[in-house]
Amino acid sequence: MDADQQKVVDFLQSKTSKTKFYFQDFLEVFPDKGPRDVKKILTGMINAQILEFWSSGSTTMYGLKGRGKQTQAEEG
Amino acid sequence: MAFVSSGYNPDKPMEGRLSDIGPRKYDEFYPPFIAKNKGNWEYHEILEPGLLMHVAKNGDRVYTLRVGAARLMSVTHIREICDIADTYCDGYLRFTTRNNIEFMSESLETIKALRADLEKRKFKGGSNKFPVGGTGCSISNIVHTQGWVHCHTPATDASGPVKAVMDEMYEEFGAMRMPAKLRIALACCINMCGAVHCSDIGLVGIHRKPPMVDHEWADRLCEIPLAVASCPTAAVRPTRIERNGEKVNTIAIKNERCMYCGNCYTMCPALPISDGEGDGIAVMVGGKVSNRISMPKFSKVVVAYIPNEPPRWPTLVKTVRHIVEVYAANAKKYERLGDWAERIGWERFFSLTGLAFTPHLIDDFRDPAYYTWRQSTQFKF
Amino acid sequence: MAKHATPKLDELESGPWPSFVSDIKQEAKSRARNADSVEYQVPVDAPDDLLGVLELSYTDGETHWKHGGIVGVFGYGGGVIGRYCDQPEMFPGVAHFHTMRVNQPAAKFYTTEFLRGICDIWDMRGSGLTNMHGSTGDIIFLGTQTAQLEEIFYELTHTMNTDLGGSGSNLRTPECCMGPSRCEFACYDTQDLCYTLTQDYQDELHRPAFPYKFKFKFDGCPNGCVASIARSDFSVIGTWKDDIKIDRSAVQAYANGEFKPNAGAHSGRDWGAFDIQAEVVDRCPTRCMRWDGGTLRINNRECTRCMHCINTMPRALKIGDERGASILVGAKAPVLDGAQMGSLLVPFVEVAEPYDAVKEVIENIWDWWMEEGKNRERLGETIKRLSFQKLLEVTNIKPQPVHVKEPRHNPYIFFKEEEVPGGWDRDLEAYRNRHKR
Repeated sequence: MDADQQKVVDFLQSKTSKTKFYFQDFLEVFPDKGPRDVKKILTGMINAQILEFWSSGSTTMYGLKGRGKQTQAEEG
Repeated sequence: MAFVSSGYNPDKPMEGRLSDIGPRKYDEFYPPFIAKNKGNWEYHEILEPGLLMHVAKNGDRVYTLRVGAARLMSVTHIREICDIADTYCDGYLRFTTRNNIEFMSESLETIKALRADLEKRKFKGGSNKFPVGGTGCSISNIVHTQGWVHCHTPATDASGPVKAVMDEMYEEFGAMRMPAKLRIALACCINMCGAVHCSDIGLVGIHRKPPMVDHEWADRLCEIPLAVASCPTAAVRPTRIERNGEKVNTIAIKNERCMYCGNCYTMCPALPISDGEGDGIAVMVGGKVSNRISMPKFSKVVVAYIPNEPPRWPTLVKTVRHIVEVYAANAKKYERLGDWAERIGWERFFSLTGLAFTPHLIDDFRDPAYYTWRQSTQFKF
Repeated sequence: MAKHATPKLDELESGPWPSFVSDIKQEAKSRARNADSVEYQVPVDAPDDLLGVLELSYTDGETHWKHGGIVGVFGYGGGVIGRYCDQPEMFPGVAHFHTMRVNQPAAKFYTTEFLRGICDIWDMRGSGLTNMHGSTGDIIFLGTQTAQLEEIFYELTHTMNTDLGGSGSNLRTPECCMGPSRCEFACYDTQDLCYTLTQDYQDELHRPAFPYKFKFKFDGCPNGCVASIARSDFSVIGTWKDDIKIDRSAVQAYANGEFKPNAGAHSGRDWGAFDIQAEVVDRCPTRCMRWDGGTLRINNRECTRCMHCINTMPRALKIGDERGASILVGAKAPVLDGAQMGSLLVPFVEVAEPYDAVKEVIENIWDWWMEEGKNRERLGETIKRLSFQKLLEVTNIKPQPVHVKEPRHNPYIFFKEEEVPGGWDRDLEAYRNRHKR
């Protein structure tokens, strides 16, 4: 995992109340990077199976793979 | 039921993976006469309801037979459509934006034979498989959403009310008697994934009760902050209550702020919103998307609530039929429903239709409301 | 014998309009019979159980579906909508019943070969039920299980050479009218623009990084047959700059009743003899036409290209030759602050391959919206919150009177500091020299 990916993981692990975040929330993690660069980082983490998507149908969120109450409910 | 692999290897998802290839290119699917004459069409004419003729600059002609369909369609039905296209149209066809099917041929004889064939094809229950029509000043097919067939937040079904309304309007689908096009659309909740807000007649499922809170399960099933964040009107908030002597995290709903969108239920199954006696349909009229004569406009709510009456929604069907009849009898040629209502004034629309004007029909939602009130002494008694 | 009694749904089998209930029943029967020995990968009785759960909804007036967060196939953030039945024991065949969106070919022309291929995949790996098509335009596969998602995707890409559509905070599957393929009104090649942008923006379509959904739709002319102005964040509508072309002998033919007016669209009722003055000239919204019984004249400078006269006399009047499109942005359905129609941003753009002029507008908008848009804020709402002026600024478009229906109603003008001579840093002392405290 590279430094940028670690930052994302640290950000997600620091949040205890919820496990899923909108794309825009990650822009705060990288104040010096534009949305397109942040997207590349997140896409890389999806492909490395560190992150996974969760969608409401109309919107999409990112979270650490396998985390969250919804995941358990759906696969269980 | 043994598992049959497509070739995909779950242990190596990237192996041989094709992604981001997009749809097939449109021109792979052109019948030869379309490929030949693309961009060179001179004019078209509707020879009779459902039958179009397009004439190219070089004199080539293509005849199109338009037929209605239920957008919920089985592969058996699609294969029958394919058989028909293979027999009459060299294996080509197209679908329209309004869920109609178009069969094309250079030969009018072929199209007439096709129509005779289609008229004989019926579902086992007796309904027609391929009604011809949907052209010009007809009532074309209804565009709609999923409803109870497949959606988690609908306030009504979609396929059922659409079938009931189209049964009633069947003759108008195959005729061209309206003063102008008349487009009906149905969305099964206010989120309107069917975008019915600019239709001549828009039928919209509405809930009238805020979600319930399943306190016992809220914290177990859902991430409460996600449910809170999903609410567009900030009606959902986290709270703690005492239950069986234990403090539990749960959710509180500010009922008066709820606009019944169901977003919180999407995020959290412990917040069910559907309610048999609360849910129903609002009727909106007078919208259009075309720029013809007048600018595009939104539909307006003229009936705030009609209860769900499955399986055939008789009150809804009667209301739609009535609005259509009054419009057809009173509008001038070329006037869309909204243009007609604006010319005669909405007060006259209500007196002509006899629809009850209730307080629900006055907009009270944020800024746009003011612009719908009357800032003038000009009105009709 | 049907698996579930469905007395209410059975009432939807009568009546002349095609019955979806009869169609689901025919699919249930076909699967039970399995004449082609298909190795069904999801429950054979899925259509029966769908009828069963729908009958239950017809009885209690409530849906029985729950949402699930599953999004797509590996690496994709859209294309699949998770669905679970809330009565799985009663209806095990549809307990897990996810939707897949398959990107339709532009304007929905098909060969039967392609459609049969699609049917074969879905017959074996799904419920055999579809929507032709969904509201946004995709082919909708209605109901399959999680284990089949990758398999279906593999077959779609490898066998059918086609791909999934969009969902979630993605670019949604673009849609267009049939354009010049079979319509004389088309001002640009809607299908080619739709296809090209769909291909160029595959990453945006499959991997969500927008604040919310984003829709492109392409109408070939102001008649707007795909309703782009009402339902797309980025609506491209064909238009022209030069004169409407008049074929004077064809006008006469309409006047003499030789040609059917409105291409025959009104032929179901006796509206009397066609009257060019009353039906065309007097209906023109700008009153820019004149008819003296022999000659039709159009003051094209005043024409707003509403299409009425062209629609009414399609053999006599033709769209101009200097063709392109207008771009309108920000349409959306009512949630939350009310519905929005697309607002005119680019009055005229040439629409020619490789479409760089259109793409430049798109990408400028995306760069801005991705940075400034709030979570779950449609573009139209971002524009309302941050101003139309800001949108013009980020797209490098000069404000013009055509951008508004009328100028603003208030003088609360947010001048920028650099617009005011001397800026906002003022010399208090100098002021006090002129004015006592």
